[in-house]
Amino acid sequence: MVEHTASGGSARVTTRESAFGLQLPVSRHTLANGLRVVFSVDHTAPIICVGVYYHVGMRLEPRGRTGFAHLFEHLMFQGSESMAKMEIAQLVQQNGGNLNGSTRYDFTNYFESMPAHTLDLALWMEADRMRGPVITQAELDNQRDVVKNEIRVNVLNRPYGSFPWIDMQAVAYDNWHNSHNGYGDMADLDAASLEDVQSFFDSYYSPANAVLVVVGDFEEAHALELARRYFEDIPAAAAPGSADIVELRQEAERRTSNVDALANKPALAVGYHVPERGSREYYAMGLLDQVLLQGEDALLHQELVSRRGFTGGVDGGINFLGHMHNAQTPLLWCSELVHDRDVSADAILEAFDAVIERVRTEPLPQETLDRALVKARSSLYSTINDTSYPGYGRADLLASFELFEGDAAQVNTIEQRFTAVTPELVMETAREYLRASNRTILTVVPGVAEADPTAETGAAE
Amino acid sequence: MTTHPRPTLAAPPPARILPRNNQRLANGMRATFVHAGAVPMASVRLVLRTGSADVPANQKWLDRFTHEYLREGTTSLDASSFADTLAGLGGRLTVDADEHTTVLRTEVLAERAPEAIRLLADVARHPHFPASEAERLRNDLRRNLDLALAQPSYLTFAAFRGALYGDTHPYGRVIPNPAAFDGFDATASRAFWEAETGAQRALLLVGGVFDEAAAMDAWRGAFEDWESGPAAASNPPTPATTRSIRLVDRPGSEQSTMYLGRSVPEPTHPDYVPLEVTNSLLGGSFHSRITMNIRETNGYTYSPHAYITSRPQDAYWIEVADVTTNVTGPAIREVFAETERLRAEAPDLEELVGIQNYVAGSFMLRQATPGGILDHLEFLDLHGLDEAYTASYVERVRAVTPDEVRRLAEQYLGTDAMTIAITGDRSVIDAQLAEYGTPST
Repeated sequence: MVEHTASGGSARVTTRESAFGLQLPVSRHTLANGLRVVFSVDHTAPIICVGVYYHVGMRLEPRGRTGFAHLFEHLMFQGSESMAKMEIAQLVQQNGGNLNGSTRYDFTNYFESMPAHTLDLALWMEADRMRGPVITQAELDNQRDVVKNEIRVNVLNRPYGSFPWIDMQAVAYDNWHNSHNGYGDMADLDAASLEDVQSFFDSYYSPANAVLVVVGDFEEAHALELARRYFEDIPAAAAPGSADIVELRQEAERRTSNVDALANKPALAVGYHVPERGSREYYAMGLLDQVLLQGEDALLHQELVSRRGFTGGVDGGINFLGHMHNAQTPLLWCSELVHDRDVSADAILEAFDAVIERVRTEPLPQETLDRALVKARSSLYSTINDTSYPGYGRADLLASFELFEGDAAQVNTIEQRFTAVTPELVMETAREYLRASNRTILTVVPGVAEADPTAETGAAE
Repeated sequence: MTTHPRPTLAAPPPARILPRNNQRLANGMRATFVHAGAVPMASVRLVLRTGSADVPANQKWLDRFTHEYLREGTTSLDASSFADTLAGLGGRLTVDADEHTTVLRTEVLAERAPEAIRLLADVARHPHFPASEAERLRNDLRRNLDLALAQPSYLTFAAFRGALYGDTHPYGRVIPNPAAFDGFDATASRAFWEAETGAQRALLLVGGVFDEAAAMDAWRGAFEDWESGPAAASNPPTPATTRSIRLVDRPGSEQSTMYLGRSVPEPTHPDYVPLEVTNSLLGGSFHSRITMNIRETNGYTYSPHAYITSRPQDAYWIEVADVTTNVTGPAIREVFAETERLRAEAPDLEELVGIQNYVAGSFMLRQATPGGILDHLEFLDLHGLDEAYTASYVERVRAVTPDEVRRLAEQYLGTDAMTIAITGDRSVIDAQLAEYGTPST
């Protein structure tokens, strides 16, 4: 069963430090019904990843139907014209693959990592469900229960379950599309009907509002032929207009405090609006994130963890539901930490501000910027090297650039755009975007009395 | 609307296993190098055969304390220089640890792999443990314990382990006594690290894209003068063989977090791979019987999953689910009913073949990424398995028969000997649990 192939020994080593280490092959096509198709071939392993991205997410769901984009994602596994409930999961599994779907701010995606010989089936399946879910009231009710249990396990029954993403966006954004809870209110989920399902599908799931991406070990001409065969006769429908998700410039600091009945330690999060996606400042912000927040060399880690001991770690980044490359702006750059009760949030903020003030008033040393660039590159490569769903990280980047910048091939300019950032641009960006008046401070008040582990462990020791 | 006939596929090609370069030094240190993928990154893992089971009972979590202490630099690099240097390679230090394994791990840009190897060697061999940082790290440990004790999953895991292994074995004694943290300091960490590491308990794994000659040179240079060190001790547990229930009361809990499981053969046993197939059919995959039942039919839960977890000479099967509080009893009933049905009736060949394809295919997907390959190599090393296991895996998966699945379920998964641990609202679920026995806390 073991086949030793030459490919294992032929991997190339990049030795040029300054060169762009990675150029993904990209080819793009548009079918007659408006479906955009992106291919990226990689013959290093006999696998493929197929993804379909619909340009609708939590930001576009209707008022009174919060959580609907996510509920709809679940329904896309409940059957279509040629597949019974959950048959798509069965087909993927019994052909040696893994699948999933996810709902984000601006898109909902469906993807499967499969052995390469299953390309034909994977495209057939995704085309079948692009024709629409075929589901019963019982299936809707079942997935409503499943989604409610998802919200319980991830939010309601878990300490810090809504911290910071749901709580922060509620305060930091003024536009309802951005600020509402995308997991949904239970009452809105209860109100969702089969009519809502059909109308949401008709509005947002047309081929012209979607991107099909295939990466991995396949031949492009063959894949294009299959894509045309299965997808091109899906009726065209006008792509929906995009929602107005604009946020006005924030002019005053906001601060809010929530009691978390399940938490036993206070927590603090600070979120700033970031520059517009694609701008020079956006990439400068990406490097500021590396300098300030990512890794143990980051300035906030050095100050708040190593020097002051306020917390064991500061987490965060750009985009609560992903990273800076797979969402459109508005987005927040957020830092978050849990701390002890004997330290006030204000004491931590004072130390936090001293770090932020430094990058707003002094240009970064070139050495620090160079290191941030290496970290940004490494982080990008790690995204592409996804282990849970091989090929998915690459597919996700390509689909995101196709959706948000109109050209998947722009993925190959990421490193160039980071490299173009100067210390002066970083300082200008920090000055405008890391203003106190551009931020929201969120604190968690623990609702649980201080734990008494001695009592808990009486039996264990 | 047009529909297209469902395509039929050719048979899957044989699994492709990438070649491994296995090396050994005179002091007992080993290394394996595997080229995989095209992304210019190298994964470097220093796998040390030491873990929480090596810590004395009255020093529970000294291992975790020590892992945090390792980040405080080496005898030649202080903490911030160490962090800067590693970040400059594109890496950050991750420490993954369990009962018998501590992995110092980083992913760096391809051309920086040799430097990453030398840095990990420096951390493992020459940690500084500065006394000035001990109080802060003790405080972090106390905070982490408090945070863990608020998590239903942690409480349930601890209850399950205590019930399965007994509260005196290291596998069963999960929650530490924070009073012991007061004694954790540089001296304690240094003593633990020196007693429980050394070349004969170390394996370097390098995967991804890298220059092999340079990586091998870096490995030899950094490790060949390391002392062999003391051998690892062994203390196999005696898992429970009868049913018991432990209940952690969490008033007002929206859900019950449940662990249902029991001891099964470990990876060197001939039944292990067929049991993996059995697990995938029963509860270990999205389309498995238990998931289809308690999620897709009944909507009791969002993320039920079953798996087999192993340590040397030890393994258990477990179903984990967070279910709505008012259906706690019914959820257990359905899990048990699916398990007993499989013990009574062999599955259809079609269902089994589908699952065999899934297990074989998932294995192949994992062999397609550097991370997946290195995980597999860690598994082999933990259990003393070699390339023959990898090479024969798919064949063994495909050889399982419907009747064998039934036999394995009957022999190993009887619900009468399941250990049950639940964290939930006792006032609501006590009555629902009556049919499974009397809970202890």
